[in-house]
Amino acid sequence: MTDVSVPTRSAARTDRPRGRERKAESRHPGSKKTMAAMLAPSIFLLIALNAYPLFYAVSQSLRDGGIAGPGEFIGLENYTTALQDPAFWEAVRFTLLFTVVSVFVAWVIGTALALVLRRSFPGRSVFRVLLLLPWVVPVVVSTTSWNFLVATPSSPVPTLLRELGFGDVQILANPGSAMAIVIIFKIWGTVPFMMMMMSSALQAVDPSVEEACRLDGASRWQRIRHVILPIMSKPVYIAWVLASIFTINDFPSVFLLTGGGPVGSTSTLVVFAYRLVFQDFRTGYGVAVAFLITTALIAMSIYFFRRINRASANG
Amino acid sequence: MTTPVHSALRAGTATPAADRITRKQRRESAAGWAKTAVMSVVTLVALAPIIMILVLSVRSGQTASGTYSWNFSNYVEIFSKTPVLDYLYNSLAVTLGTTVFAVVIGALAGYPMSRLRNRFIGGYTLSLFVVQSLPVIVFVIPLFVVFAKIGMADTLSGVAVIFIAGSMAVTCWMMAAYYDSIPVELEEAAWVDGASLWGGFVRVVLRNSYPGILSAAIFSFLVAWNDYLVATVFLRSQSNFTLPIGLQTYFQQNATDWGPVMAMSVVMLLPPVIVFAVLNRFFSIGGIGGAIK
Repeated sequence: MTDVSVPTRSAARTDRPRGRERKAESRHPGSKKTMAAMLAPSIFLLIALNAYPLFYAVSQSLRDGGIAGPGEFIGLENYTTALQDPAFWEAVRFTLLFTVVSVFVAWVIGTALALVLRRSFPGRSVFRVLLLLPWVVPVVVSTTSWNFLVATPSSPVPTLLRELGFGDVQILANPGSAMAIVIIFKIWGTVPFMMMMMSSALQAVDPSVEEACRLDGASRWQRIRHVILPIMSKPVYIAWVLASIFTINDFPSVFLLTGGGPVGSTSTLVVFAYRLVFQDFRTGYGVAVAFLITTALIAMSIYFFRRINRASANG
Repeated sequence: MTTPVHSALRAGTATPAADRITRKQRRESAAGWAKTAVMSVVTLVALAPIIMILVLSVRSGQTASGTYSWNFSNYVEIFSKTPVLDYLYNSLAVTLGTTVFAVVIGALAGYPMSRLRNRFIGGYTLSLFVVQSLPVIVFVIPLFVVFAKIGMADTLSGVAVIFIAGSMAVTCWMMAAYYDSIPVELEEAAWVDGASLWGGFVRVVLRNSYPGILSAAIFSFLVAWNDYLVATVFLRSQSNFTLPIGLQTYFQQNATDWGPVMAMSVVMLLPPVIVFAVLNRFFSIGGIGGAIK
């Protein structure tokens, strides 16, 4: 049983070209109906709960609806409003900062941890499980404890900063430190994901390649930078894309830590859209903003999907 | 399941007999322990916010002299004064329902996704990827309108259906990635013996896919258990609250009363931590990268 779990990780990459040929052969006589029936439940859900709401959302975004009703058709006005709204652009800026910084830093830390955990040392398997916990613990719970750590002047972190001579720091009342805390929180939650992705990518790296470089006199850093990372470029790419998508779409981390404040400084696009719909009751405008995120994400998904495809075709 | 040799290898204790330990090996083992020490500090820092929850949950009643008493009175308080048991029950019901359906749907759809190669399957995999990457908030508002019309808005089953649709893309990929690792020759042998496609799938493929099934199950469990956005929009009456909403509501009403808040947090974090601690060696998220093709 233990050995069986290994193929999941390695097979996806190493068996890929062989798997491709294999699939073409896999034709059982009269299999079409069975295959279609097996896909049916997921297709049904995709249409009913994803495709239909998506079209509905498009139509909502073209109306000036509020709580009272769907509203009048106003064409693209909600979109032009968004593009002229400084609060929208502020949300775009923070979303980019939040995503790029947290994904990259979490990747660096996650890769470092994966490299350390690759070789055996006492307690390795325990660390491997414990370090995944920030990802497993519900965000509602972890934001609660982070709130305890930073929210009030008498919380542990502000107290510590005061003792260290930084003076009175109102972490969540100051835009700069609130942004920093939201980003640090997101890094904390993303590192385990990166560690998992990079650990499984490292398993596919042939140890003999590394050994050869070592014998040629490459330093440890050179081996990682010029040999291991290039070999892993496809999984690294996938990890970045998935983590970026998760981060752009992350609602609770920001909403429960800061609510988007102070003065909108930590509002990501998703939080901005949520507040428009559920707090300002500007449904049409809020959905239009959500739809702008959607369009950007679809474009990004298809672009990266193609790139990944090409990377896997070449490698 | 785990052979002794295996666990020995994994724990790094498969060194030769003690009398053959050379100086080099002793140096390596010292380096190993140094690694352990550094990693312990790293882990302690990373887990500080979680350890804090556990500590605060058993701390109560600051006395005049500034000391605290350490007991389980916070737990007694939340179980006697709040409907936390109802929240727990609701969360369990929604999560288990989601897990079962998401895994079954993923296990079925993953098979054609793994074995067929044509335009339709390629397009379908792409649409799953695209849908998965969209913000939930886009779906939530229209679904709320529709669910309100058909009387599913403030119900646990309505929320579960949304979680199933939300975790389905990833369970489909995970299952497809796992099936990819099972040689098609195994099924072909079954077909030669007269098995139907379905029979071959159930008896050969599915039977060898428990680790893949467990990965998918853990994933959908975490999605449903940890969700906040869908539940906060859809669940309006307190009797339907799941733990995240219950905890958040309680936190807003008793913000400075940290003991009971943390006790409720422990109730919420234990199930996923237990599930993960027991099943983590089956969990492999790396495989989903391979299914994007």
